[in-house]
Amino acid sequence: MTQSSDDTWTVTIVVPEESSLDEAGETHEFAVSENETILAAARSAGVWLTADCQQGWCITCAARLVDGDVVHPNARRYDTEDREAGYVLICTAKPRADSTLVVEQYDEFLEFRAANNKPPGNSKLSD
Amino acid sequence: MANEKEHGSGSVEPGDTSKRVGAEVIRERGVDPEELREKLIDAIGAEFTTYYYYTNLRMHLAGEEDYKEITEDARLEDRAHFELVVPRVYELEGSLPNDIRDFADRASCPDAEVPTPMDDSGGFDTEDLAVEDILEVLLEAERCAIRTWSEICDMTRGADPRTYDMAQRILNEEMDHEAWFIELLSKERDDEINPAGHFARGEPGDAPYTKNNPFNDSA
Ligand code: FES
Ligand SMILES: [Fe+2]
Ligand SMILES: [Fe+2]
Repeated sequence: MTQSSDDTWTVTIVVPEESSLDEAGETHEFAVSENETILAAARSAGVWLTADCQQGWCITCAARLVDGDVVHPNARRYDTEDREAGYVLICTAKPRADSTLVVEQYDEFLEFRAANNKPPGNSKLSD
Repeated sequence: MANEKEHGSGSVEPGDTSKRVGAEVIRERGVDPEELREKLIDAIGAEFTTYYYYTNLRMHLAGEEDYKEITEDARLEDRAHFELVVPRVYELEGSLPNDIRDFADRASCPDAEVPTPMDDSGGFDTEDLAVEDILEVLLEAERCAIRTWSEICDMTRGADPRTYDMAQRILNEEMDHEAWFIELLSKERDDEINPAGHFARGEPGDAPYTKNNPFNDSA
């Protein structure tokens, strides 16, 4: 699967076994154009992944990039440290290569943010 | 004939005040009341920060009295949304964070800051501050609120009619707000007529859907 003329990429979504989604344990593959978010593409493909703000802020939609490349042009709270740790906010992430992501990583990303003293981290974990 | 659902709340002993049937009936219907109430705190954190940020946004709409009035309605209604749901958090045995910084950090929507850098003296650099940029911040804040309350409607539908009722009332007003700012931004930025279909509230921040259960008349 390579880049086609309209810059569409193949995105593979791995839904963890322990997720509460109906799709737990499944892997889904769909085409995502370079201007489309992975969340929007997944939902149009019938996979209702978890999200809230859809502005790259709340981290409800967190995922982990296993392979490939994505950009976050409109994310409101996402930094290079997040990126280097492999976390992705699929509500704002747009592919720049064929990519594979493990989705539904909110708890893990929240821990990561807390460990790095960044919101919403400790504000959600302190009690 | 046996019901599919147990309408009893068998897990709570008669006279036991350490548990709330009001929460257990939600659990029995498959929603975790603790998870729900934490989500409510995030959501009203966003209502509260938005109430704050809109104060600033509205006053920077200098000379645009009509925009200011609409923004004021949206601002006061966000406060009404906060007030409406606070008691529900406590009913579900949650609480507001003691530290307002925690409350803001966990808000489920972004800070709606005035879209301009600070100047050297620590004030807003308003030289390039455009009305349309403020309207866009307002619009995107409303859109976030719509998504959040839709999520809470999804979470509570068929399981928690009390929270669902609150969320759908708030959602009604957030959809009004989005329509207002689409109309204003379309006109201001694109010189396009894109009617909201409504007018300003009768009284500032009327909150026609969400002031059904005020703490008292001040709220
Ligand atoms: S849904 Fe809020 S960060 Fe993606
Ligand atoms: Fe609101
Ligand atoms: Fe609003």
